[in-house]
Amino acid sequence: MSDTATTPHRPHKHLRTQGPHGDPARKRIVLVGNPNVGKSVVFNYLSGLYVDVSNFPGTTVELSKASYLTYDLYDTPGIYGVSSFNDEERVARDIILNGDIILNIVDAVHLERDLFLTQQLIDMGKRVGVIVNMLDEAHRQKIDVDLEKMEEELGVPVVGTVAVKRKGLENIHELVDQVREGKQSRELHGELHAMLSTVGSQGEALLVLEGDKVIAERHGIPAVDISRRDEIYIDRRNRVNRSLQQVVSDVETGKRVAAVLGRWSVSPWLGFPILAVVLYALYLFVGVFVAQDLVEITEGQIGNRIVEFQIKKWVARHATTTVSVDVLDAEGEVASTRDFRFEDGLEGDRALWHDAQAYVGLEVADYTFTYDNPWLVLFFGEFGAVTMTLTYLLFLLLPLVLGFYFALSVLEDSGYLPRLATLVDRALRFIGLNGRAVIPIILGFGCVTMATITTRLLGTQREKTIATTILQLAIPCSAQLGVIAALLATAGPTATLIYTGIIFSFLISVGTIMNRTLPGGISPLLIDLPHMRMPQLNNVTKKTLYKTYFFMKEAGPWFFIGALFVSILQVTGALNSITEALEPLVVGWLKLPRDGATALVMGLVRRDFGAAGMYHLDLTAYQIVVALVTLTLFVPCVASLMVMLKERGLRQGITIWIGSLVLALTIGGIVSQILN
Amino acid sequence: MPDMKLSAMRKGMRARIDGLPDGEMRSHFIRIGLMEGSVVACLERLPGGTLVLGFQHQEVALSGELAESIAISQV
Repeated sequence: MSDTATTPHRPHKHLRTQGPHGDPARKRIVLVGNPNVGKSVVFNYLSGLYVDVSNFPGTTVELSKASYLTYDLYDTPGIYGVSSFNDEERVARDIILNGDIILNIVDAVHLERDLFLTQQLIDMGKRVGVIVNMLDEAHRQKIDVDLEKMEEELGVPVVGTVAVKRKGLENIHELVDQVREGKQSRELHGELHAMLSTVGSQGEALLVLEGDKVIAERHGIPAVDISRRDEIYIDRRNRVNRSLQQVVSDVETGKRVAAVLGRWSVSPWLGFPILAVVLYALYLFVGVFVAQDLVEITEGQIGNRIVEFQIKKWVARHATTTVSVDVLDAEGEVASTRDFRFEDGLEGDRALWHDAQAYVGLEVADYTFTYDNPWLVLFFGEFGAVTMTLTYLLFLLLPLVLGFYFALSVLEDSGYLPRLATLVDRALRFIGLNGRAVIPIILGFGCVTMATITTRLLGTQREKTIATTILQLAIPCSAQLGVIAALLATAGPTATLIYTGIIFSFLISVGTIMNRTLPGGISPLLIDLPHMRMPQLNNVTKKTLYKTYFFMKEAGPWFFIGALFVSILQVTGALNSITEALEPLVVGWLKLPRDGATALVMGLVRRDFGAAGMYHLDLTAYQIVVALVTLTLFVPCVASLMVMLKERGLRQGITIWIGSLVLALTIGGIVSQILN
Repeated sequence: MPDMKLSAMRKGMRARIDGLPDGEMRSHFIRIGLMEGSVVACLERLPGGTLVLGFQHQEVALSGELAESIAISQV
């Protein structure tokens, strides 16, 4: 570390603003950086195993906190500067204001952009250490970064790393001990100190001066006109550019495979073929390998035949139970069925259980346990809240969510996602969204519940509403897709064409209508295209695990509550009443067999149950179209409804829910009338 | 050419920025390194007007609508 920097200002005693989280006695290290600079890798390196991921109070921004030595370590969302332009910035701003040590991670290739934030942190009077990451990429692009010169220019210690390859990370430990206040604009510093009596800290004083209304309000002073912000920003930008002339020297931009691929993926001619290849690969991995092959093993074999069976058998030890045994033939069809009645539970009549076992012999069988006690039915019966949540969550959803997040992390780490957003931006504007919405929509084909949570990354409330509505209404999740594909295969190509045509035009219509009627406009796309990189397995794995854990923690309880709710409907007989009430509609209006009503109601529990229910009805090709259109548009599963209510609020959630119910039956009926 | 907008850029063109929209968008442009006087190159132009711009080793994509609000002169 060079000591040639001008003597930094002495640290001042600043009042600490109240922090909503953490132990006040422990010093806080805050990681700050632009999006895609490798912050999470540094965080993972410093944090070790235990990480606490939570929502920042009052927002849906994820916040990771961990322990490092005697410090609390905070990760912040990627930001371009400290201000209040969006939720991410507001969250990062408050954590930074409360931080004792700021570790600022910058991208060696994008120093022009990233050092603006660095200089702002220094202007805030924070003790800063800078980690210059992606030195390998800079080297490849023949950009030479002089770290010592940078230290001199900024007045704070600097280390260089290639985080994904774990190079140089060990120097960060030393950096933490050397952080200090950097070189600030003398004029600005004077102005800030004059404000210290009214606001708590230099950092807050700077934000007030830069027109931050929230901070001004906190201290009961009027907000400063934003023209002052422009002055400060332009001055800072100029200071950064001057420093950089000393620090960075570049020769030429090399053409590398990754760079070329990155360019191709946003070119008008090659972009769309590349997108098609990516989507096809995604389909093969998630749609075929995970959703079909893997889930068949985890849900079909382990979940249903082993775990659920053992639990139900255990519950039936002393409870009056009827066990009906379906012996299956080689094709998996039911070959014969017999009921066994246990008045005193399985333990009470071991001989009968042996009879049942003998009846099955060496064949494969499905067991249905029907308990006389309604409480047992509620928790362990056919739709038992405990048994169903368990199989559904652990053996169907978990592999699916893992698979999807893995694929998403690979795409994210490769740098492809922003390019995908660029490519589809124009098309998504028709339905009132900008390119970023492509991520939740793709995720929707995996699990609508998961996708609904992901709508958080969209910029405005309006976009979140439109995206959620489209997801809940028109996107079939992977649980349904399998059955839909199987049914369409029997119905033939014409039916398939009609079905996709209807769903697609419905999706476009809903988006267009919402875009026209909702107040406000589409937020313009302005997105950074990071370098294309080869994703690193350990980083992708860690990301996949975090995201999956976060999802399960967030959505898991709702799946249980949803299952419990439906289970109560079943035990009380309400489920039958609803089915009966739906029958005239189903038979008269949709022209489907009576049992179609049951399938629709089952769709409430799990969308695939609905589709599977239709599978067993003897339907004509056109009836299949009607059934599938209705089911796809029909209300989403209970879990995604719960998550939607949480994300979008009670009023909007219920509106979308009822809307999809009415629309599904209306459109299904119209299609039925036309086709007949 | 007077009163030229960024949205008029075609692939391969270079231009100097003369005017940015006001407000937060302007602050954001300054943060990422685009100000009046910055020179940008148009790397790609997609159907519908979405642009990929290159400047100072950075690549950003912006929608045609946003490009409409930025004044440039060709260099």
